Amino acid sequence: MKLSYEWLGDFVDLTDVSPKDAAEVLTRLGIEVESLTLVDLSQIVVGKILEQVKHPKSRNDLWVHQVDIGGGRVQQIIAGAPNAVVGTLVPVALPGTTVPNGRLVKDMNIAGYKASGMLCSADELLLGDDHSGILILAGGTPGEPLTTVIPSQAIMDVEVTSNRPDCMGHLGVARELAAGLDRPLKRDFMPSFTGTANPPGRELVKVIIEDPDLCSRYIGGVIKGVKVGPSPEWLQRRLRACGVRPISNIVDITNYVLLEYAQPLHAFDLTKLLGAEIRVRRARDGEKLLCLDGVERELAGGMLVIADSQRPVAIAGVIGGEDTAVAAGTVDILLEAATFSGPSVRQTARALGLRTEASARFERGLPPELALAGARRAASLIAELAGGSVHREWPDVYPEPQEPVRVRLKPWVVDEVLGTHVPLQDSEAILIRLGFHVKVLGDGEWDVLPPVFRLDVTIPEDLVEEVGRVYGYDRVPPTLPGRRHDRWTPLVPSVDRRLDAARQVMAGAGFTETWNPALVSGRKLEALRIAALAMRVSNALSDDMDTLRTSLLPSLVDAVALNRDRGRNEVRIYEIASAFLARVGEKYSQPEEPLRLAAVATAGNTPDSGRAAFYALKSVLAGCLEGLSAPACTYQRGAAELFHPGRCAAVILEGRQLGYLGELHPTVADGLKVEGRLVAFEIDVEPVLANSRTPLAQPLPRFPAIDRDLAVVVEEHVAAGLLLAAIKESAGDLLESARAFDEYHGAQVPEGQKSIAFTLTFRSPERTLTDAEVDKVMTEIKLTLEKRHQAGFRV
Amino acid sequence: MIHGPDELLNDYKSQIAVTRDEKELEQVRVALFGNSGAMTNLIKEIPGLPKEERSDRGRLLNGIKQQLEGAIAARLGELRVERLADIVETEAIDITFPGPPLGQGHLHVLTQVRRQIETVLESLGYQVELGPEVETEWYNFEALNLTAGHPARENWDSFYFTPELLLRAHTSPVQIRAMQRIKEPPIYIITPGRCYRRDAPEATRLPYFSQVEGLAIDRALTVGDMKGTLLYMIQSLYGIERKVRVRPSYFPFTEPSFEFDVTCGICNGMGCKSCRHKGWLEVGGCGMVHPQVLRNGGIDPTEWNGYAWGFGIERMAMLKHDVDDIRLFYESDLRFLEQF
Repeated sequence: MKLSYEWLGDFVDLTDVSPKDAAEVLTRLGIEVESLTLVDLSQIVVGKILEQVKHPKSRNDLWVHQVDIGGGRVQQIIAGAPNAVVGTLVPVALPGTTVPNGRLVKDMNIAGYKASGMLCSADELLLGDDHSGILILAGGTPGEPLTTVIPSQAIMDVEVTSNRPDCMGHLGVARELAAGLDRPLKRDFMPSFTGTANPPGRELVKVIIEDPDLCSRYIGGVIKGVKVGPSPEWLQRRLRACGVRPISNIVDITNYVLLEYAQPLHAFDLTKLLGAEIRVRRARDGEKLLCLDGVERELAGGMLVIADSQRPVAIAGVIGGEDTAVAAGTVDILLEAATFSGPSVRQTARALGLRTEASARFERGLPPELALAGARRAASLIAELAGGSVHREWPDVYPEPQEPVRVRLKPWVVDEVLGTHVPLQDSEAILIRLGFHVKVLGDGEWDVLPPVFRLDVTIPEDLVEEVGRVYGYDRVPPTLPGRRHDRWTPLVPSVDRRLDAARQVMAGAGFTETWNPALVSGRKLEALRIAALAMRVSNALSDDMDTLRTSLLPSLVDAVALNRDRGRNEVRIYEIASAFLARVGEKYSQPEEPLRLAAVATAGNTPDSGRAAFYALKSVLAGCLEGLSAPACTYQRGAAELFHPGRCAAVILEGRQLGYLGELHPTVADGLKVEGRLVAFEIDVEPVLANSRTPLAQPLPRFPAIDRDLAVVVEEHVAAGLLLAAIKESAGDLLESARAFDEYHGAQVPEGQKSIAFTLTFRSPERTLTDAEVDKVMTEIKLTLEKRHQAGFRV
Repeated sequence: MIHGPDELLNDYKSQIAVTRDEKELEQVRVALFGNSGAMTNLIKEIPGLPKEERSDRGRLLNGIKQQLEGAIAARLGELRVERLADIVETEAIDITFPGPPLGQGHLHVLTQVRRQIETVLESLGYQVELGPEVETEWYNFEALNLTAGHPARENWDSFYFTPELLLRAHTSPVQIRAMQRIKEPPIYIITPGRCYRRDAPEATRLPYFSQVEGLAIDRALTVGDMKGTLLYMIQSLYGIERKVRVRPSYFPFTEPSFEFDVTCGICNGMGCKSCRHKGWLEVGGCGMVHPQVLRNGGIDPTEWNGYAWGFGIERMAMLKHDVDDIRLFYESDLRFLEQF
């Protein structure tokens, strides 16, 4: 929201407070000034147009002006807008001047005509958005600085928190500023102005609230005999400074009061309200309204509208209708000052995609007392600036008047909460400055009555905040809490810290960690056939993030593709994050969120490189489990979407399946235009952590080991794992370890067979083994392999 | 020709002196003391000598043997010194030549920053608490005083699955769950995790991000304690010269509520381009826990009070590592990730 420093000065004395100081004070009070625009007008002078002729040579529409700039000097200045007619007073930037919008004015020659200076638009002076013509001044003396007519401006862009609708206008912000500066506020909240004309307004217009749940108050100010015309320059300037376009005096005044009091107002042409009646009701399906912005809108059933006896004339709290709007010939007006429900206005504004100055204020929940203050202020301005007679006793439908909320405060609580000592009289003075009434009770507690515009203050903590922010939180010394506790929870390492052991292994293996978005394209999960348990967002921002991922792998494959696109061929990445799996049959419950570790690595585009990469990744996975101090897992031939059916292993730990390891299915890589093969794994890590055990030291072997190699020739289909199991079963206690280390196909073994080489280590904990003992065991092993797997042996 | 012991001594002494390396010296040693070495042979002759000569002869030979052994040991020492000197003199390499790539993977920068934050707060006695990312409306909003229709709700625009189920917009639901689980204060927890808000992706925000929130519930905690905790955290992460300020703000779940700012690390709070001449950088929100929120978590606000704070891990990482676009964290471009 934009605030004019000049305007704030109406309500609080700012003579020795610079705009920057004021911004600082407001920020510290909780009204964050996000930017401050200073508009220095002291270098611009007032000029009077003596002559205006069309540029005879230029092909563009240009006008050549002779401008009196005082002291008997006349400058020739060329402008593109025709509105600086003879006799008008205009802002002139002479050569050498930098205009507030940053432009340096120089002597120029335009198609043979000298141009010595520039006539300024409101836009160029940063006095508003209007660049359609030269800014015409209401007064001033040629040659005098522009600041004799228009003071230099400072515009603050502030962020008002949603609990402070009262600060959505200059008066509310000025009250804060006055409290922060400890200066009096020069304006009472409730103007004393009331109409006097007869007959009473309520005899001229009937107001009925049909839906009091959505409208808690409706005031209809009746003013007759106004003269519609332009509003005075100062008023237009202030509107422009706040980003509002001046239209006519009546409309401008309603906007002015909105910017001043934060109370949105609307003026109807009274004679156009059919039946001289206002009905606040929900729209009927199919009703339409041509709005002030020229757009005809279809209204939905729940929307609150203002209607006359026949039809909607405004969308409550959002925008007025064109047919009943104040126009050039309007004489009698009905001034609406109402209080509409915040959620209802927000819903309507959202549904219509139309957020206005009015809706932005109503959405926050305005106090009904504000409506009367705003109505009175606007009526007095209309009487002053547009003439007309303000009728007495307006219709004011206010079924449940706002109840004052008193708050009981133990004033010493201020010190207890802040952690510093604030003298009681300081606390009291601060509350009074902010408009609170404080009554000290016999027991020392305070009975505090917040001002009517502060619906946000309801509990003692709210009052502590009021005192704290004006007293200044910078004055609260930082401390660390510390006391004697007789109860505590010993530090348990977080899951993330425990997983650092796996991260260490991954890093050592050359894998870089990634964090990928959990929201992915549902369509893509469907194409990959992993969407069965996917949860779809009902209000997604876009198709490519409308569904929670059921697997981390597609994100990692995308990341591989992205890095390939950017020139990186070898990619090894992983991620630790949750996957999301809907619970079957429980559509509305929270999904399972298994924490997963997933990795993808690139490999060359041959069967062998895929195979080699598979085994390399298998070691990485085993390393992670070892790093996490879990027992070794086992592998079974698995089948999973995303994986190559011949190269997929289910990873099993203590009888529970953790996930899969394998080469990714060729269609997965192909669909993503990734060349070469990809190997990957994805496992649940929580069961791994659950099986993690502190490693216990084993005694070091005291006797030497005997190593033997064994090359086993079997049919192609026999898995190494089966042979290994047979070896371990038949070897007995002396076998310390056994590992397959080579697989051979070729001339030395028959067609359809393969040779797998194992290395076996034998050791006894009690004695040095002899070759004869080991030979005996080897014979046993060979017998078993022959019997079970028809194995032969190579020497 | 048979040498007498004295000749032998002199002859071999000079041979030892001219050996050029340990190998030659070894050859001399073998020629003397090997199985058929000259010295060995002389000693072998002793038993054939008349009885009365034997001991003199033995003594004589033993003296010579010791002298020769001493000469060999001394020469060995010299040769070793020469050899080692030669190694260091002749084997200089080009130390500017690069080592081979290590091939080490990198931890994600957000993991690193999250770890630092957790470590700092654990040192103050806070414990990590986790909770589900798909939350119920009650935990995400109602329990935090963000009732339906609340004007502040628009700051937490969320992704919904059903009217009751949504992606959490902050990790605050974990605070409520922790209060319900722990029941008996003191409670000192931090809640790192992923969050989601319905904001279109741009350089400063994403619809998905990560937060760390902190919650302290104890007896008689103060705004000063909250400020001290934030200051300790910021100084531990960014250096002791940093300052923290709290600015009044509004959140429905804390009262009073604040934004907290940190002095800009580039200008030390003097104001520069990167802090838009403010001297301060916005980091997060904080406040004293609203009594209704404590009640919603099952904690009696007349006995206990607390403070809470929250900030984005990405924001912290951006400040620490001078990252200017939040999207880089989630794009998985190795050229970015390998910088940390």
